[in-house]
Amino acid sequence: MQKLVVIGAGMASGRVLETLFETDPSAYEVTLFNAEPRGNYNRIMLSPVLSGEKSFEEIVTHDDAWYAGNHVTCRFGEKVVSIDRERKIVTGKNGELAYDKLIIATGSSPFIVPVEGRDLPGVIAYRDLDDTNTMIEVSGDREARAIVIGGGLLGLEAAAGLRLRGMEVTVLHLSGHLMERQLDEAAGFLLRKDLEKRGIEVMTKASTQKILGTDKVEGVELADGTVLKADLVVMAVGIRPSVEIAKQAGLAVNRAIAVNAQMQTSDPDIYAVGECVEYNGTLFGLVAPLYEQAKVLAKSLLGENDAFVVKELSTKLKVTGCDLFSAGDFAEGEIREDVVLRDPALGIYKRLVIENDRLIGAVMYGDTSDSNWFFDLIRDKTPIAEMRDTLIFGPAYQGGSPLDPMAAVAALPDDAEICGCNGVCKVKITGAITAKGLTSLDEVRAHTKASSSCGTCTGLVEQLMSLTLGDAFDPNAVKPMCGCTALSHDDVRRLIKAKELKSIPEVQQELQWSTPNGCAKCRPALNYYLVADWPDEYADDYQSRFINERVHANIQKDGTYSVVPRMWGGVTSSKELRAIADVVDKFEIPTVKVTGGQRIDMLGIRKEDLPAVWADLGQAGFVSGQAYAKGLRTVKTCVGTDWCRFGTQDSTGLGIRIEKFMWGSWTPAKLKMAVSGCPRNCAEATCKDIGIICVDSGFDIHFAGAAGLDIKGTEILGHVDTDDEVLEHVVALAQMYREQGHYLERIYKWAKRIGLDEIRRQIMKDHAARRAYYERFVFSQKFAQIDPWSERVSGKDKHEFQPMAELEFAQAAE
Amino acid sequence: MSHALFINDVASTETAERTFVEVAEVWVPEGDRLVWSSGNYGALEAFQSASEKQSFAKGEGLPGKAWSETRPVVLKGFDGSYFLRTDAARAAGLTSAVAVPIFAGAKLKAVLVVLCADDEVRTGAIEVWSEENGLLMLDDGYYGAAKQFEWVSKHTHFPRGQGLPGGVWAASAPMLMRDLGAGYRFIRAESAGQAGLTTGLGLPIAVPGGKTFVMTLLSARGTPIARRFELWKARGAGPDGAKDALLTDGICQRDGPLWDDEKEKTVDAWQGPIGQVLGSGIPLVKHDTAAPSAGYPAMVALPLYRDTAVSHVVAWYY
Repeated sequence: MQKLVVIGAGMASGRVLETLFETDPSAYEVTLFNAEPRGNYNRIMLSPVLSGEKSFEEIVTHDDAWYAGNHVTCRFGEKVVSIDRERKIVTGKNGELAYDKLIIATGSSPFIVPVEGRDLPGVIAYRDLDDTNTMIEVSGDREARAIVIGGGLLGLEAAAGLRLRGMEVTVLHLSGHLMERQLDEAAGFLLRKDLEKRGIEVMTKASTQKILGTDKVEGVELADGTVLKADLVVMAVGIRPSVEIAKQAGLAVNRAIAVNAQMQTSDPDIYAVGECVEYNGTLFGLVAPLYEQAKVLAKSLLGENDAFVVKELSTKLKVTGCDLFSAGDFAEGEIREDVVLRDPALGIYKRLVIENDRLIGAVMYGDTSDSNWFFDLIRDKTPIAEMRDTLIFGPAYQGGSPLDPMAAVAALPDDAEICGCNGVCKVKITGAITAKGLTSLDEVRAHTKASSSCGTCTGLVEQLMSLTLGDAFDPNAVKPMCGCTALSHDDVRRLIKAKELKSIPEVQQELQWSTPNGCAKCRPALNYYLVADWPDEYADDYQSRFINERVHANIQKDGTYSVVPRMWGGVTSSKELRAIADVVDKFEIPTVKVTGGQRIDMLGIRKEDLPAVWADLGQAGFVSGQAYAKGLRTVKTCVGTDWCRFGTQDSTGLGIRIEKFMWGSWTPAKLKMAVSGCPRNCAEATCKDIGIICVDSGFDIHFAGAAGLDIKGTEILGHVDTDDEVLEHVVALAQMYREQGHYLERIYKWAKRIGLDEIRRQIMKDHAARRAYYERFVFSQKFAQIDPWSERVSGKDKHEFQPMAELEFAQAAE
Repeated sequence: MSHALFINDVASTETAERTFVEVAEVWVPEGDRLVWSSGNYGALEAFQSASEKQSFAKGEGLPGKAWSETRPVVLKGFDGSYFLRTDAARAAGLTSAVAVPIFAGAKLKAVLVVLCADDEVRTGAIEVWSEENGLLMLDDGYYGAAKQFEWVSKHTHFPRGQGLPGGVWAASAPMLMRDLGAGYRFIRAESAGQAGLTTGLGLPIAVPGGKTFVMTLLSARGTPIARRFELWKARGAGPDGAKDALLTDGICQRDGPLWDDEKEKTVDAWQGPIGQVLGSGIPLVKHDTAAPSAGYPAMVALPLYRDTAVSHVVAWYY
């Protein structure tokens, strides 16, 4: 009988032996080495053992009786130290052993983040039963806190298990969303929400700087200086193939042990299987390909022909109640098409990626019941044209007549509840449409309250209107925000407040976006709405901004940038002018131009010079003029009573006061202002978004002017007596516009839509409303008046300023 | 492949004379009353015949109370209570009961009632937990002789995600915990171990209005609630309502672990007792020594709803 020696008693080699013994139990005399002091168990089921949902005994794949029954000599707890290929001998800690055939199944070892403190007691990886038992042990201490570094499959399973065991758990993840290799942003968001619902804290973009503690772990310090307490730190950031023994033996090793399709290494008598192998440049971490390899290897040992083929893989997370699935390629691409289905009530998100009539990727969260069917379509490259329209509904909807949603609505009984928020049933809606001759969604909302709260029934209500009114119903009467949603800007703004939606993925999920991540139209809009509505809670998503707002400068036709520092009220000094001159000389800025907004523009600056330019300007006391922003631009002034013979008030001082009060605020579109000291209007206040004309008796406040593609004189908002009142009224007006304007809608268009009288009523007559607007603006400014230039000088978003091969388009150039 | 036998966390003996639960019965709405649908009364024939004739209006008796209050109800001591079958129960030695309403959205599908007999030997626990100020607190529970564990439970609360009740609450899914005493090292573990409690089944009970209830069945060795537990997950509701269910977890005193991470085990709607519960959406209590289910004479299969659809079926056999 030939001697087969196996190094490593893991799942892959276990499956090799099972297959071998099932096919020809007398072919080999087997000796099995394992560094762990135990035999083969189902390692991927350690997570439920950690959580308490399985016992270790349940996940033992091969017990002592199995090894004895198959005459396997077990050398468990004994590490193999070398292989002598010439003599065909392996040496374990307890002595040598000859082989005819050898299998290396050494698996992988966890990757340990190379930070200070990684060797402290209480810092562990998550790999085997001992790690699991350590975690169970620590979780026995009341109030114990765990930090899991790594928000991938293993890390999240560890976090959920530790939480079930009673620990306070925080997950630190370097990337922007959890499981970024397997999930897109939308599914990552739902997963995060799900984990947070379990009391697990999740921190993304969290970079571990060092692990704190003296005799044992006490905490973790992040790169941003945050310090978190911890009694246990679990590192689950990835694995590394264990290849030392193969390297020592002189076998061909790249990133892992190189094997051919028969799992043979560069030595024909030595095979390798599992996570320690590399085949055609691919490494393996999931169990399905390992079992395939095992089957092939067993056949190779028996002289049968078979070849290992790399196949599509799918991912599932073993956390009870977290249903996610991902397979194939789900990156966005020009010739790819997404089909997205969201059900906010049930927390379901499904996305299919189609390319050339084939399903190439799928991501699902909340309902994965059809995942096997989708996986087969991906793996088999099945043409899907014929079922394209109903594909996302799964196999139950295929083969019959296409689903007609209208038929389903028509079939609803009269007492079917359509609007759960307001308890409105079908017949009440159809009855009101008929009796009152309603033709628009707004009318139906006004008369029945249906769809007027959370809005998730809007689609159903529209279908009812279509059924009742036939051609008289024009669903396009409401213009959707973009192709990703059927909701208008107004609806989206209303629902963000009503449903307290506080992140872009949350808006997209709850409002059933039809695309995975939105588009260039909706993302900047959503980002603005969230900044405006939740100034203290929402973290600005710079990736949702146009290039000018991302780099805080204006891109020019040649790819260089222009920089405009703020010059309060258009007033400057010799010191400021010298500083600008020095910057112009130092950076060889080719053009210096006075702008129409009474400030100085430096044109032709290279992108990589921007931070240094800002640093020098910052030293001289300048802040960004935000000449790129959908926000407050300039407050143009005339010289007023200080110098002018006709001046009636201190227009310069008032303009500076307004600009210093309002700078940094984001608005739906740019906001330009002016203060003129007398009706001669030298500051041209009557064509601005907001303008003030000083008169002997006080101040006339104007608004809704335009002097761009459209030219329009301002409208009068009203008259006030003091500059304090000017500030309160102007700020309240700006806040009303901030809260109600559509993204990119200038103030004059907003005013036309809302109605001048309504604006005058709220700002001039309703003192409480005005005060409330004012106070909300003041609150939001706490989080807005941060000079973006000084932030970037200190290193924020520094990658934006690296020289790039490709230039971005100025999508929002002025 | 061979699985190691691990039986010690399921009931260790099948020869135990009596199980923790004496009676299980299902009541379903018919018109404006609840009528008897299925049940297992063991040898308590008199109580059985008294029950089968009974029906309950909304608010009437224990099942009617669970219906009207739209929540699980624990009743300990029948004398002087709203329990309608007090005399028959007394004659049968039954002293406590738990009624669990099963709602599909706002619609009542059935009420499951389990009745227990008090004595100084049998331990186990049937608990109802509900949310209060963001924590799960014990609503009430029946513990048999596990008095110390009862006391500890009354003084325990569970945050989201922690322990069996907190885990079920956060996951909105049933869970089957092993090693309640030995390996489960926190909250209640010590007293659970002392009480001999081993396996814990936690069930989310959906009721109208969104309030959270979690029911737990904690089984002990000598007087098990069940000798086999199964958790099935409903899948694939199509336009015609056809669906199947996947066995996601389970343990059995005879067969060992019932889960298999490689080979899926499924049942179609209306196929066998699990399929029947899946298809009808109504719980089933089966008692048939001639045609045992999974080798056991009696079983209870309970549908769990998420919104208006069955999300899981849990079954226990004894």
